Amino acid sequence: MTATASKSASKWPLSLLLRAEPTSLGSWLEGTQASRVVFCLAAIFVGTGLYGASMGCWRAPLQALFVAVKLPLIVLLTAFGNALLNGMLAPLLGVNIGLRQTFLGVLMSFTIAAAILGAFSPLTLFMVWNAPPLTSPPDSLRGAYALILLAHVMIIAFAGITANVRLLLLLQQFGGRAKARRVLFAWLAGNFLLGSQLSWILRPFIGSPELRVEFLRAEAFQGNFYECVWRALTWLLAGHH
Amino acid sequence: MNTNVVPPQLAAVAAAPASAGAVGPSPGQDPLEREPIVNAVVAVEALLRQPRRVMYQLRQPGSGRLIGSMLFVGLMCSLIYGVVVGSFSMGTQLWAAPVKIAGGLLVCAIICLPSLYIFTCLSGSRAGLGEICGLLAGLVLLMTLLLLGFAPVAWLFSQSTNSVVWMGALHLLFWFIATVFGLRFLQTGFSHSQPRSAAGLNTWTLIFILVMLQMTTALRPLVGKSSTFFPAGKEFFVTHWEDSLKAEQTGPHRTSTD
Repeated sequence: MTATASKSASKWPLSLLLRAEPTSLGSWLEGTQASRVVFCLAAIFVGTGLYGASMGCWRAPLQALFVAVKLPLIVLLTAFGNALLNGMLAPLLGVNIGLRQTFLGVLMSFTIAAAILGAFSPLTLFMVWNAPPLTSPPDSLRGAYALILLAHVMIIAFAGITANVRLLLLLQQFGGRAKARRVLFAWLAGNFLLGSQLSWILRPFIGSPELRVEFLRAEAFQGNFYECVWRALTWLLAGHH
Repeated sequence: MNTNVVPPQLAAVAAAPASAGAVGPSPGQDPLEREPIVNAVVAVEALLRQPRRVMYQLRQPGSGRLIGSMLFVGLMCSLIYGVVVGSFSMGTQLWAAPVKIAGGLLVCAIICLPSLYIFTCLSGSRAGLGEICGLLAGLVLLMTLLLLGFAPVAWLFSQSTNSVVWMGALHLLFWFIATVFGLRFLQTGFSHSQPRSAAGLNTWTLIFILVMLQMTTALRPLVGKSSTFFPAGKEFFVTHWEDSLKAEQTGPHRTSTD
């Protein structure tokens, strides 16, 4: 590797975050942070926005626009909504970092996930382009919907896992392996709690072929994600297969 | 070759540690590998005979011209191979097949580039975006050069058979061989950028192959004839292959869609 190449690579914060070298990750939380927050916000808007558009475009162009707005909103609302809680949990669980550093750390992991999602958006767009259109027979539509849903679940899971592994590496810089794991688990639990409910409220994303295109469902604020999962579980356990 | 314009070897090249799957020392250690690539013809020759020279030049400032010339030659080669593919059905396929093959290849490269960059970064590779673009351009060029090498054989077969499936399978075989060599170039270049593991690139390779295979179905017909430029329906490539095999057993040969 040439010095020129490494110099040019280090100029771009995104490649620095993705490579997750221990020294560069540690320095990420130090120094002037306003420009880094702006960079993270921009990356999240662009990355998740593009991915959201590719997610919704199978249903309708308007759905693509809605999801391009909603997906960055979920990520940012989760980061901001849990900022205080995450900032308190970190020192309580043994990782001695401040509120600003905590927020920047979480934002960093969301930025990595957004970058991965953004990079996958041309591929998901290609997948949607190859999927049967909504005018196809219902059987074919159900298959396409299932395939698109599965692909999105896999890609989002991959992006999420990768981002959290990077976050774990960052936390290890401040408090060792065991403490870093504890903090990460606590943050994940908090973010999952808030993020899943935000996703529930802001549904639909892919857009079911038989339902209307809309920014929010009429019953968006009725019930919650966990209530729905609980109902489904009890229904299944009661033998209604 | 004028050796006065050879860029100096940078210290980090010699100091680079061995990385996951690295093939030999870093490019640029041999003075011959540091000779500049001045035009497209030299680029083609270097890619075939001295791929490490191309890898070294891609890391130097101003590699954009080399990348551009590799892409341009790659597209020209794919256009020529496309004419050979179209010669099976003749007529409109003589221009439609080259346009689809060159365009499809370019679109494949463009839509797979962001994920390639992300995967290389996640693998810990120190290759910059420019170098990644260059390695991908090298992959495209090597693939299309090999396809061009296969073109006379493909043309001979296309003039001596009526079977769309047979010709499709032959082109797929040529494409597969060319892709293996292209990917080998990419993987060698990647291995010299200090990655921690090759898992990311292997995953991307699978994605790239799937996208290319689907592209052959999305842009069909490439070999056979059709009344429309693009296909009327959307199909997964495996389903399409099954349908083509069934059609081959029942229908007329040169008019089916492939």
